[in-house]
Amino acid sequence: MPVLAAGLTLTLVAGGALVAYLWRTTDEWRATSAGWETLAVTAAADLERTQGDLAAAQEVLDDTREQLGTAQDRITELADEKAQLGDDSAAQQQLADYQARVSQAAGKVATALATCIAGQEQLIRYMDNAEAHEPAALRRFRDDVDALCGQATEANEQLQHELEP
Amino acid sequence: MTPARRPSRAGSRPSRSSGPAPRTPVTAVLAGLTGLALAACGALPPLPDPVPTTLAGTSAPLASPSPSPRPGSALSPDGFDAAIRMSVRIRNVGCGSLSTGSGFAIDHHTLVTNRHVVSESAALEISTYDGRDVRAQAASTASLADLAFVRTVDPLPAYGGLAPLDPAPGAEVTIVGYPRGSQLTMTTGKVIGATTDPLDENLGEVLVTDARVELGSSGSPVLDAQGRVVGVVYARGEDGTSFVIPVSTLRSLLDDEEQVSPAPTCTG
Repeated sequence: MPVLAAGLTLTLVAGGALVAYLWRTTDEWRATSAGWETLAVTAAADLERTQGDLAAAQEVLDDTREQLGTAQDRITELADEKAQLGDDSAAQQQLADYQARVSQAAGKVATALATCIAGQEQLIRYMDNAEAHEPAALRRFRDDVDALCGQATEANEQLQHELEP
Repeated sequence: MTPARRPSRAGSRPSRSSGPAPRTPVTAVLAGLTGLALAACGALPPLPDPVPTTLAGTSAPLASPSPSPRPGSALSPDGFDAAIRMSVRIRNVGCGSLSTGSGFAIDHHTLVTNRHVVSESAALEISTYDGRDVRAQAASTASLADLAFVRTVDPLPAYGGLAPLDPAPGAEVTIVGYPRGSQLTMTTGKVIGATTDPLDENLGEVLVTDARVELGSSGSPVLDAQGRVVGVVYARGEDGTSFVIPVSTLRSLLDDEEQVSPAPTCTG
């Protein structure tokens, strides 16, 4: 009988300890569950806020990309406009240089022709009164006039060369 | 002699010293309950771990969306591709003539273009993708290929690397240049094959691609999928094809300076 009593006592003590442990464990798990639920709610709120921030940041990024694309297109357009203006400027400069060369050549022709004509007129006057001049002097003057008219011919050839397409 | 064994009675009680004491049923039950309790201790739920105050991130970071990469797509601070930044527009101001072409940088002060783009010039005027002017210093041309090199006074915005090998037929290529002297343009195509130069400007074979080019595209770089230079455009075909000097020819000229000489200029 003492053995039975001791055994029952031991069993009761062990059972009590077990109940107490299970009680405490249940309480701890309940508290932990509440803690996790609170944490989950907080995390969900954080996630929602972060997703909102991400969406806003993505929107800003999209806008920035669009602006960058627009800016790049504009830069390319402006670079092209500048290049075309440069081409036009270079072409106009070449045209101006050409016109200057033609004008200069035409001026040379006009000057040489005027000199040639003046010389020929003078030669005609000398020939009208040839007896008053030495024949050798007349020949030299005629040669000079020929040379002047030859320069006019050369100037005209240069002008024609400039006028060639 | 052996002593005679004493006979025993059947059903007599065994001696105490002959084995363990027999268990009573109560003791056995108690022992069983104790054992069961001890075994159950191992199956008891453990106490929970403390709840953390915050959730640490364990997932991989989200991949940010990005535009699909293009050849030579290393971006500069202004967002332009390296392929665009390395390309230049060349204006050849001749003696009574004016023409434009394309070119590309291979280092900070050296451009590659076509011989026919820079020949017979009184002045070379170079501009970049963003409209900046780059002063040219001297040009030299190759005798055995329609290639030329231009040294610049000002540094170039970017330059490209050369591919080690010529592209194989079927390879995707991208051409960056200034067709008709207008806006910088990127066109794509594939290498069709190799042929002898129909213009007899180049020694050896040239490449044929189906990428469309225009007048003014001469000197444009031909890039592979990694943005490396695999050739230089120098002519276009009647059927929409384009002819390209392979990078192997360019490399051979870069390695042999005796094959290049000062570019012919005009005066007057």
